[in-house]
Amino acid sequence: MVRFVIRRLLLAVTTLFAISVITFLLFFAVPSSPAQVMCGKNCSPEQVTATEHRLGIDRPIVEQYGTFIKGVFVGRTIGSGDFVRQCPAPCLGYSFRTDEPVTEILKRTVPVTVSIVIGAAVMWLVIGVSLGMTSALRRGTLFDRVAIGVSLVGASLQVYFFGLVLLLALVYSTGWLPAPSYTPFTENPGKWALGLLLPWITLGFLNSALYARLSRAQMLETLSEDFVRTARAKGLPKRTVYLRHALRAAITPLVTIAGLDIGASLGGTVITESIFGLQGLGRVSVQAVNDLNLPIVLATVLLSAVFIVAANIIVDVLYAVVDPRVRLG
Amino acid sequence: MRLKIGAVGVGALSVALIASGCSKTTNDGGSDEKADSKVQAGAISYDAADNKGPAPAVDGATKGGTFGVFLPDGFEHLDPARNYVNTQQLAALLMGRSLAGYREDGKGNLKVIGDLATDPGTDVNKDCKTWQFKIREGVKYEDGSAVTAADVAYGVARSFSGDLSEGPHYIQSWLADSDDYNKTYKGPYNGGGDLPPGVTVPDAQTIVFTFAKPHCDMPYAATLATTTPIPKAKDTKTEYDRHPFSSGPYKIKSYQIGNSMVLERNTNWDPNTDPLRTAYPDGYNFTFTLQADQIAERLVADAPADQAYMAWANVPPAQLPKTTTAGVKERVSQGPSQFVWYYGINTQRIKDVNVRRALNYALDKDAVLKSIGGTAAGDIATTLLSPTVAGYQKYDVFNAPATGDVAKVKELLGTTTPPPLVLAYANTPRRAAQAEAARKSFEAAGFKITTKSIDPTNYYTEIGRKDNPYDLYLAGWGSDWPDAGTVIPPLFDGRKITPTGNNNWSYFNDDTVNAEIDRIQGLPDAAARQAGWAALDQKIMKDFAPVIPVNYDKDYMLHGSKAGNVFLSDAYGYPGLTNVFVKQ
Repeated sequence: MVRFVIRRLLLAVTTLFAISVITFLLFFAVPSSPAQVMCGKNCSPEQVTATEHRLGIDRPIVEQYGTFIKGVFVGRTIGSGDFVRQCPAPCLGYSFRTDEPVTEILKRTVPVTVSIVIGAAVMWLVIGVSLGMTSALRRGTLFDRVAIGVSLVGASLQVYFFGLVLLLALVYSTGWLPAPSYTPFTENPGKWALGLLLPWITLGFLNSALYARLSRAQMLETLSEDFVRTARAKGLPKRTVYLRHALRAAITPLVTIAGLDIGASLGGTVITESIFGLQGLGRVSVQAVNDLNLPIVLATVLLSAVFIVAANIIVDVLYAVVDPRVRLG
Repeated sequence: MRLKIGAVGVGALSVALIASGCSKTTNDGGSDEKADSKVQAGAISYDAADNKGPAPAVDGATKGGTFGVFLPDGFEHLDPARNYVNTQQLAALLMGRSLAGYREDGKGNLKVIGDLATDPGTDVNKDCKTWQFKIREGVKYEDGSAVTAADVAYGVARSFSGDLSEGPHYIQSWLADSDDYNKTYKGPYNGGGDLPPGVTVPDAQTIVFTFAKPHCDMPYAATLATTTPIPKAKDTKTEYDRHPFSSGPYKIKSYQIGNSMVLERNTNWDPNTDPLRTAYPDGYNFTFTLQADQIAERLVADAPADQAYMAWANVPPAQLPKTTTAGVKERVSQGPSQFVWYYGINTQRIKDVNVRRALNYALDKDAVLKSIGGTAAGDIATTLLSPTVAGYQKYDVFNAPATGDVAKVKELLGTTTPPPLVLAYANTPRRAAQAEAARKSFEAAGFKITTKSIDPTNYYTEIGRKDNPYDLYLAGWGSDWPDAGTVIPPLFDGRKITPTGNNNWSYFNDDTVNAEIDRIQGLPDAAARQAGWAALDQKIMKDFAPVIPVNYDKDYMLHGSKAGNVFLSDAYGYPGLTNVFVKQ
């Protein structure tokens, strides 16, 4: 188990290194200069050069990359003369546009995205899995048909449509719910939940559709397995058969998908954040790409990669827990 | 002046408008109001009654409440040295006072008067080279200390720093007598002095600017945040953006960049020292996280929590139909922004003035405007100056119908066959649709057109290269203050052409025009200058036709039912904040 984790961590570090190099190279392959973009009207070539120098993007790529990596591990000083600033590790640099430390931007935006994803994930897992399992157990009944029909609708909808419809119906036209907003959980849990309810419902409902269909299919398959028949034949109560034996076997692939889904979503729920006006990681990264804001682009790309890599490792470990046949080594 | 999104400089507008919707033709929601229905009476006022605080009361206004603003992007800079975007400039007026400012009444009357100074500047020797400002007595910062002339000088000094270079550079260039303004003096940092070249502070209430050349526009330039006072002890350099030290009626209570900003009263502000700000609300809330369509939906819905809010974003085409119903249409502020869009004709490649005139006749401006949203997005332009510029005169040297005049094109061209032309455009859905409409109309008139798409972030860099290989390209320009002196010289003074970074996109260079620019800039009388610019505007189009004016850009913004005294500022193009109130 320990060996497994170490091996995976090493692989993760290599992956992150490769991603950071590729992001860096891609950024400089773009034929436009962030200094030009920032400089705007009445901008003389001297000013562009001065801005490039100030941002440090006039130095060789290898040197810039080295500075970046050094900053992450031991911190670095940015600027010169009276403008020198200490950027302690893990230093991800300063935003080209607002001079705000990137770590502060992340501190502000990551909780928003995490709150959206965690709430939505709870919703889609609870609704999706319970709906799917119940349908499987009551196959062919009215409940099954309705549940599957609803999930088909959910699976075919898009966030930008369903989210807007909810906003229009529950906020703009009727005022039943307050407009979505983010309040830190530590400040007021009630407001936190109320402000995020709409994104949770939207993401939760749409994703639960997939989980309902998947868990129904898995459960049906498991229920037809020999070991379930054996368990029943042994005279075990239905409850034990379903919950102890069948559910555990059926849930394994769901763990994989849920882990990857959550990991990918944490990297930024761009559309959801945009629709509900929440300033999370996703929106910040899209804005950064538009502005050619390298420090933020790098940080958000790397962070998303960290989430996905971490989710993969956790899924692998969980696999061993859920399914005793899997041995890590 | 740049607009809300600073991201792409002058191209900001294109991006901002793309973000606001599709390129579908829509005339819904546009009003019948013509761009030219507004009368410009821009003037620099030395009248003692105008220059005396407190600011004139607004009819029906009451004190109290919290006023809100929804805008789709966070502020990049509130530091006076770095502030060059109109939303930031309007917000900064609540927290900082510069030497002069604009008084507007929403009916088109605009006066430049003294803000921090007792008047908009004294031209000491009547040659526009030496400008003296007297700081009002009793103006205090948020900590109760007095504002001095030395603080104004220090604010100007730090704007020379290369690390704080995002703001306008008029005063700096005039002081240094060079566009490369910080070649020798680089601000008060790293051992530089606290006084920039040409600035003297004879006493605590007096500051004098001395320029090598006449700059009669100084009262306008003095309205820019460049002259906002900053005490040296409070200079936090690049951190200043996050908490400018207030000399205005409000100060920052909390500010989360890109999320929200809350302002509260600066209790040390004295209304009797301020002829510009009524400061009715007890505070302001800025919300930066919503998109233009969400802002429009919320303000149309007018829920109790949103009623004292206004938008700093145009209503996207999709929401326009909802804004024409009773109860909503009264809450729309609309009118021309300072921006005018032109097709620059590359005069280095198209040397025959008759071909340029023919191109002016050929363009179907109506179709081009419809491709970006019709009358809600703009009005058809025939002049170089925007209707918001003081002294603007409406004229049309071609008198062609808005849809173009193919017969006239044939007549002008006669037997000459025009060379095939390259039309370049920024590669966004909006600009692509526009380029397509333009291409069709040029081709219908007999021109051969090849279109060439350019990466939008790089667009102005590309067309700003002197040796660019294009013939026609769309470009937008807005005045930095409502005076043609910030429009015609940057766009049509041929002596300013450099290998890269040009704003003279036609690469137009004519000695008579250059001489006329110098003559007008040297006129001490503002009215004479305005008349001069208006005449030059016509002369350039009549004799040289270096551009095709396409449309005057238009703003169309909503506010809630309890937001009082909201109107588009002619000076800034967006609704201002200093004289709004919350209806009780």
